[in-house]
Amino acid sequence: MSLIEIEKHEVEEERHEPVRIRGLPFFPHFLLREVVVMCLIAGSLILMASLYPAGLLQPADPFNTPTPIYPEWYFLYVFGFLKFWTWNIGPIEAKVIGVTLPMVLWYGLLFLVPFIDRNPSSDIRKRKFAVAMGVIALLGILYFTYFSIVHH
Amino acid sequence: MKLEDKIFKWFDDRFKLKELLTPIIKHPAPEYAVTNPLYCLGGIAFLCFLILVGTGVFLAMYYKPTPLEAYKSVENIMIAVPMGSLIRSLHHWAANTMIAAVMLHMMRIYFMGAYKKPRELNWVVGVTLLLITTTFGFSGYLLPWDQLSFWATKIGTGIAGSIPIIGEYISLILMGGTDIGAETMTRFFAIHVMILPITIAILLLMHFAMVRIQGISGRL
Repeated sequence: MSLIEIEKHEVEEERHEPVRIRGLPFFPHFLLREVVVMCLIAGSLILMASLYPAGLLQPADPFNTPTPIYPEWYFLYVFGFLKFWTWNIGPIEAKVIGVTLPMVLWYGLLFLVPFIDRNPSSDIRKRKFAVAMGVIALLGILYFTYFSIVHH
Repeated sequence: MKLEDKIFKWFDDRFKLKELLTPIIKHPAPEYAVTNPLYCLGGIAFLCFLILVGTGVFLAMYYKPTPLEAYKSVENIMIAVPMGSLIRSLHHWAANTMIAAVMLHMMRIYFMGAYKKPRELNWVVGVTLLLITTTFGFSGYLLPWDQLSFWATKIGTGIAGSIPIIGEYISLILMGGTDIGAETMTRFFAIHVMILPITIAILLLMHFAMVRIQGISGRL
């Protein structure tokens, strides 16, 4: 019995062997590339900070609404979708849908991506559906960002 | 024996540094991850995080989180404090770059299918990190207490407040009342400089530990 078990084990080990990939040691190869990129980014950030300093407008005045008010650029799509969606569905108000869809549903879907996409292949040609969904989501975000700027 | 070797040996005798460091230093990184610049995006986000911690600690030394003092203290940072303008602008630029880098990093992971088994949970932690990064941006936006920060926060809390069922509580917890005021400021300040940094540090550790254990996913 034990002999058979040992044999099985050896066969399994052999099968796992070719999965290994060629690699370069973390130090210095990987780290060197990382440090070069980090220096470039840090330099660019200092350059941008000196050329375009962070702004400071008038002090906050709760009784005087300025126009236009823009949220941070990464929230514009939520803002845009809220303006885009003007249809009530049954008893649910349009405003509630306009807020819930881009925040709750969108992030919920993002969290669940690995559990929805059960396709084991990581070859881009064999994941047409996932790639198409990704491109649609991306275009949607871009469109609603654009929408929020135009329809201000 | 050179001085640095002596120092290294002193620590090595006591903490077994060689045993600890060798697997990290020798750990192989896949060749495509070293040559393809798309694999830099996560690292860029992390660099931005480090810059944000550094500049943020500096800003916290001069900033006063009350409606009466906040604007004046930021103005003081911009005008009077040596290098204050540069540090605050660097904080601003690093924050925006970090969000862009996190988003692009997520797009790379998505389109390369790198979230698949066994990396499902690392994707979930990653999406949480994106959520925390944008919450950082949202809470930091109010702190200068200028017209834009006040009114953008008013709209933002209004939007969060109209989520069904939980929205009411979210806006109450965020604002500490029914309107944006002194309570909101101290809450946003506490969220921005204490709650979120601790949370993001823990999640980053988990994120990196999982990459280390599972390795970098390969092949486009």
